[in-house]
Amino acid sequence: MQMMTRRGPRNPHRQKVTLHNVGATIRRIGGYLGTYRKALAVVFVLTVFTTLSTIVGNRVNGIVVDRYIAHNKLQALLVVCGLLAAMYLVASVCTYFQNTLTIKAAQQTAARIRQDVFANLQRLPMRYFDTHDTGDIMSRLTNDVDNINTALMQTFVQLFTGVIAVVGMGAAMLILSPLLTAIALLATLATYTFSRAVAKVTQSAFTTQQQALGALNTQIEESVSGKAVVQLFDHTQQTLDQFAQTNAQYTRAAFIAQAFSSAMGPFNNMTNNLAYLLITAAGAVSILNGSHTVTVGVIFTFLIYLRNFTGPINNVLDLINTLQLSLASAERVFELIDEPPERDLPDAPATPGATGSVRFEHVDFAYDTRPILKDVNLTAHAGDVIALVGPTGAGKTTIMNLLTNLYPLQHGRVLLDGTDVTTMRRRDLRRLITVVQQEPFMFQQTIRENIRLGRPGATDEEVKQAAIAANAHVFITQLPQGYDTVLAENASGISQGQRQLLSIARAFITKAPVLVLDEATAAIDSNTEAAVQHAMTALMRGKTSFVIAHRLSTIRHATQILVIQDGRVVESGTHSALLARGGAYADLYNSQFDPA
Amino acid sequence: MFQIVMQHTHGRARVSFFLAPLVMLGEVFCDLQQPTLMATIIDSGLAKGDMAFVVHQASLMALFAVLGLVCGAGCGFLGSFASLAMGQALRADMLAVALNSRKAGGLSPATLITRITNDVTQMQNLVMMITRGMVRSPMLMIGGIVMSVLVSPALAPILFVVLPALVIFMAVVVRRSLPKYLAMQKQVDGMNRVMRENLQGAKTIKAYVLEPHQLTQFTAANRTLTNASQTAAMATVTLAPVIQLVLNLGVVVALAYGGSLAISSRLATGQIIAFVNYMIQITTAMIGTVNIITAFSRAITSAGRVQAVLAEEAAPQPVAVPAPAPATATIAFDHVTFGYAAATPILQDISFTVPAGQWLGIIGTTGSGKTSLINLLTRAFDDYTGTITIGGRDIRQLSLATVHHQVSVATQDSLLFSGTVRSNLTYGAATAGDERLSQSVAVASATDFLAPLPDALDRPVAQTGKNFSGGQRQRLNIARAVVPDAPILVLDDATSAVDQVTNARIQKRLAAERANRTTVIISQRVANIQHAAQILVMEDGRITAAGTHAQLLHRSPFYARLVATQLGGDAHADDD
Repeated sequence: MQMMTRRGPRNPHRQKVTLHNVGATIRRIGGYLGTYRKALAVVFVLTVFTTLSTIVGNRVNGIVVDRYIAHNKLQALLVVCGLLAAMYLVASVCTYFQNTLTIKAAQQTAARIRQDVFANLQRLPMRYFDTHDTGDIMSRLTNDVDNINTALMQTFVQLFTGVIAVVGMGAAMLILSPLLTAIALLATLATYTFSRAVAKVTQSAFTTQQQALGALNTQIEESVSGKAVVQLFDHTQQTLDQFAQTNAQYTRAAFIAQAFSSAMGPFNNMTNNLAYLLITAAGAVSILNGSHTVTVGVIFTFLIYLRNFTGPINNVLDLINTLQLSLASAERVFELIDEPPERDLPDAPATPGATGSVRFEHVDFAYDTRPILKDVNLTAHAGDVIALVGPTGAGKTTIMNLLTNLYPLQHGRVLLDGTDVTTMRRRDLRRLITVVQQEPFMFQQTIRENIRLGRPGATDEEVKQAAIAANAHVFITQLPQGYDTVLAENASGISQGQRQLLSIARAFITKAPVLVLDEATAAIDSNTEAAVQHAMTALMRGKTSFVIAHRLSTIRHATQILVIQDGRVVESGTHSALLARGGAYADLYNSQFDPA
Repeated sequence: MFQIVMQHTHGRARVSFFLAPLVMLGEVFCDLQQPTLMATIIDSGLAKGDMAFVVHQASLMALFAVLGLVCGAGCGFLGSFASLAMGQALRADMLAVALNSRKAGGLSPATLITRITNDVTQMQNLVMMITRGMVRSPMLMIGGIVMSVLVSPALAPILFVVLPALVIFMAVVVRRSLPKYLAMQKQVDGMNRVMRENLQGAKTIKAYVLEPHQLTQFTAANRTLTNASQTAAMATVTLAPVIQLVLNLGVVVALAYGGSLAISSRLATGQIIAFVNYMIQITTAMIGTVNIITAFSRAITSAGRVQAVLAEEAAPQPVAVPAPAPATATIAFDHVTFGYAAATPILQDISFTVPAGQWLGIIGTTGSGKTSLINLLTRAFDDYTGTITIGGRDIRQLSLATVHHQVSVATQDSLLFSGTVRSNLTYGAATAGDERLSQSVAVASATDFLAPLPDALDRPVAQTGKNFSGGQRQRLNIARAVVPDAPILVLDDATSAVDQVTNARIQKRLAAERANRTTVIISQRVANIQHAAQILVMEDGRITAAGTHAQLLHRSPFYARLVATQLGGDAHADDD
């Protein structure tokens, strides 16, 4: 007998989904399932068998009542019951294997899809990460892949079972008694029509509820995380009053939606009960009128069928919707897999090393259509220190991003040792250039591993030497677990200055000929700042260095200082030459000392 | 849990909360009548050929079906009302506690937000569940057992074998699978971490060519997760087929045994049919009960989390008769010591005085206690020793509103609220006119991105102000603090993300604002405070030196070192 909860928490409003290419998506999932084709074929056969055994079993129950109990055939009764029991046993074993096989196939497929998405993510250009929300990509990797998994594991099988059950039982019922079948169908139709009608009403109510909920959550988020400001400006009462309004709005919308949708269960229950009654009554009347087709056993069979009939029909409709949602998920996931990756030129030669001379020739760069850099030229000989100064947003970091070929430039050339960087293998190029970022990213691993990321394969001793060189060794050894301290998310356990020191240690270990230092602007405490400065100076030794400086005191001894404004190099020269010139650099230099 | 519900349902909501389960009992009662009535139709009506009886029983069935609908829908209606009303009250209370709380080291904002949003929703669902399912499934199960025993006592022993067998089996499987699901959840977290890091650290990964390394890590995490989720899924894979089998065998036994009794005329056919129907109903109800117990245990943890928020210490008790607003804006700290935990004070023995209208500069490393000092001045916390006075009045004797109208702060993290530029700027002074707003915008040097004024005041601000850059947010933040024209203006490291030139411009314009008020400027930049009438140097929660720039160069080695690293250690040092 099929199990089903009469009142599953059914989604009261089926979501509308737009699918772009159902066929292709299904074929693609099919491709992933390829290796499990045999297993799935077995699942298919098992499902047909278990579903049919339910239908047959239910009918046999009726026959038992009519032929054996009614006609006092005890021995036959026991034999048939024995056979029934055997069939149920086999069916349950089949269900077990059916579930085991589907679980394996679905999980492995989801794992492979996840792997493919992640692998492609590794190759996507920087631009992709700039223009896509972390939350959105995460949701594709987690929720959407889960949806595919669920679809494969449950929805598919349930849908299939449902269809077989409905068709099989429908046929069996029709053969047994067209009259009772008509009643059963009517009941199903009534349930269906009603739930559609209620769904229509609740649909808009649920949309309103969701919107109100969004507004409500935003307000909670804002006021709680802005609590300090709320209190400082004596705004607590106003905030609570405002919230009370949104809160009431949400509650009202939610009440309409929920009161309506909670009537659905009882209504389905009533139609089921009425169908019961109609079948029993109609059956009884038929028998009393001397019908030959309807018997007590037929009524019995019908009652059980009915429980298993309205359920699957409604289920099938829900499942189709779930399946559509899963296909939409699959489309989103495949979109990520199909996102074109960064590709090196096919004939790009390997570049194992470089002396470190760098040239920018008439470089233009625009982000979308917004021009960022205009005609940037610069020449750095091996071992030079080049400083880039200028207001925030002038394009200093962008210039360095072009050096590592993170973004495609529109015009001009960037050369490393005379070779156009766009013709090099990206990984080779990036291994030759060490970038110390303004806000270095730390992974939730040990400090040792975080430093080692500069050159996976470096020994523990090399890690320690790098930390010593970076002035980080002392603070690391003061931590309770030393180098084995696991950093918290965003390295929140250590100060920003210490994070900088770790990132410098990471840079020390790479031993690349070109160095890019993006100085931290935000509040590093001044003691650490001195340590950071010293470490950076040490790191620069013997390398071609580019320093994006926010504090001008650090760059007086640069070989060349470039002043960047609005994406152009407006001045260049040594510290003293630029000061003497009395232009933009001189203004900048003086402003930092005496603002008042 | 029950206590929370009681405290947050009143009047009609409370009545609904108690009425809903009673109404649900009605629906259960109606449902339970159906198979018995049906049995009488088959056994009495059919057997005796009594059409009138069939019609009579059938109309009774119809009546119960309709009554069932009325009760069921009624219960849903009442339950929705009670649960939503409770949710509404709960959210309002929790937010009030969260916003008024001035306790040091409380729950983090992220935690509070999750609790007020998710956990309250969980509670709401739980109450809905209590009013409906908690009654329906168990009652249907118990009622079903009672009715089936009544309708055919001879078959009852089958139930007493089948039901305990199912309960024990389900309990064992669920208990065994639980740790496996927890293990899986841990792996899910692990993999999400690798993925999130990969997205957030994309730039670092590219710069250091860590792609192969990341992929290896992910592959391992993915494999572990897949294994863990397979193990978890496999742990419950026997559940469905076994329940199905036990129930089916129960039906077969009922037929065989019941049939043999019927053959010897000790049982009627209708009774067997009714019994089988009850058995299906009971099993369904039993599965429902198990589901509810699982859901309940999950929701009960939410109740605990909600309770923890409600238990947070609320606002400091308002002073019975608050002192009148101070006449002057003199600030004085007298031996103030403060700490979240007594053993590690954040501020230690802080004493200083700022005469009204004077400019105070505070400099020190991160974590030296600068911001905590401002938190005490604005009465974010009251549990310190020593006294703080404004205009000679102990601030603990003033009302919170008075304190906040005396002191206006541009905070370190420039947090804006969704709305418009205007709604943000008038946050502390609802009545401020456009002229004042434009003036303040000019002081904060924000006119370059807020043009033309005053039209730009109506520009929308997204949540957390994310449609403005960090530097722009900081400037709006300063303007917001300037608008109320409070007697005391505090800037807490408020220009850290602003570029040099703009910073210089802001500092210059603030000079005019300083004229008629007490100003406190906290900064890590010597340049921003070097001209203050008094500078406090803070290290590890103490004031280690105080004086003018010139005095500190001699008094404080720390300060001298700061000057050396920041200003290059030459010139400019003695030029005022």
